[in-house]
Amino acid sequence: MTTIIGIKTKEGVVLGSDKRASKGFFIGSKITQKIAKVDDTLAVAIAGQLSDAEYLVKVAKAERRLVELRRGFPLSVKESTRLISNLAYSGLKNYQPYFVELLVGGVDGDGGHIYVADMSGAVTGEDFAASGSGAPIAYGVLESVYNNEITNEQAQEIATKAVTAAMERDPGSGNGIDILTIPNLLAVVRSNPKKEAKR
Amino acid sequence: MSEEGGTAPNNNNSNFGFSGTTNNKGYMSYYGPGGRMLLVESALEAVSRGSTTIGIKTPTFALTSSYIKPTRPLMEPSEKIFTIDGHVGATGSGYIGDILQSIDELRIEAQKHRLTFESPIDVASLVKHLSSYLHTYTIYAVRPQAASIIIAGTDQMGTQLYQVDPGGTYFRGSAFTIGQFSDSALNLIQQEYSGDMTAEQAIQLSKKAIERAVGEDKPLVGIGIVYAEEGIFKKL
Repeated sequence: MTTIIGIKTKEGVVLGSDKRASKGFFIGSKITQKIAKVDDTLAVAIAGQLSDAEYLVKVAKAERRLVELRRGFPLSVKESTRLISNLAYSGLKNYQPYFVELLVGGVDGDGGHIYVADMSGAVTGEDFAASGSGAPIAYGVLESVYNNEITNEQAQEIATKAVTAAMERDPGSGNGIDILTIPNLLAVVRSNPKKEAKR
Repeated sequence: MSEEGGTAPNNNNSNFGFSGTTNNKGYMSYYGPGGRMLLVESALEAVSRGSTTIGIKTPTFALTSSYIKPTRPLMEPSEKIFTIDGHVGATGSGYIGDILQSIDELRIEAQKHRLTFESPIDVASLVKHLSSYLHTYTIYAVRPQAASIIIAGTDQMGTQLYQVDPGGTYFRGSAFTIGQFSDSALNLIQQEYSGDMTAEQAIQLSKKAIERAVGEDKPLVGIGIVYAEEGIFKKL
């Protein structure tokens, strides 16, 4: 019961969500934060069990810091997603799945990335993605207006439109919109002697 | 190899197979006089008698080369250059069994990284893992691994060269020599190394350094090299 979306642009990534938390047919909360920042360059949009997702995000946060300290440069978005999805998969195999579908969005040396990671452990890289009960409606908007030339500003408009459309017809979504934009320039650009040597 | 560590007096009177020392309070201590770790020093001594082994790095390549001791006829000499993963290689000096154990540890860590992050491991993480693996042998009543390992590879940060010692100490640098007469090999490399030398020049330099160290004409040398451009560790 949620609508979350992620959009990749040439300038970075945009994540969007509604704010409703459902308790069956009851609205449990109208001000839920469904977009969790892991750090300045990575965020996760959450659909499913919030507690499970929060735990996964916490682990990802700690692991990312540890790895960056160890090797001297941060994990890429893909590496971070694989880390989270492996954890999710181990839950599934232990018959205690994390009931989540996550949209991982972030920027690294290669630009912006959107990945979908769920409790099955599968990871897919996407230009744009939606998840939660409002996803079919949001996808209708995304499919009709997305192209890979859009700016972050345009992506924000599309995200707002898509979540709004979903909130109109999906009873599991509503109560306002959150948008998070991560521009490419936030990516920690590591010194790359390999590329310098080529020049 | 010597059973005793260094020149320190050893008042070990236990029946166990390790040589800690009993201090005046009567319990075992792994420190010798002056705070030295005798077992680790013994391991380093064993390494200094191993075959001469070299690592050289410039921004465009990193190479490892190792002297292969001539064996009896009909016996094949043991392999000294090891691929850790596609982009990293290693070599070592010391007891070959201990070297192989460290190599296995590195290989497994490289594959673990591929499983958890779906990307090739960076050399610094490999080195730090080996360092902590070796370090555990210095805090228990066991024999530290008598092997120094030289690791050469490439990653996002460019070409990498490290040396890891039996105590877990590691060094990053442009050239290392370990094993027998490694000082004289290092002398030559210090004189002739330059940051813009070609791979061929470095290979010849390492061969010359080993030749000088072992005092043998045309010694058998194993070589492995990885180029920054290509990113694949190859045994020559």
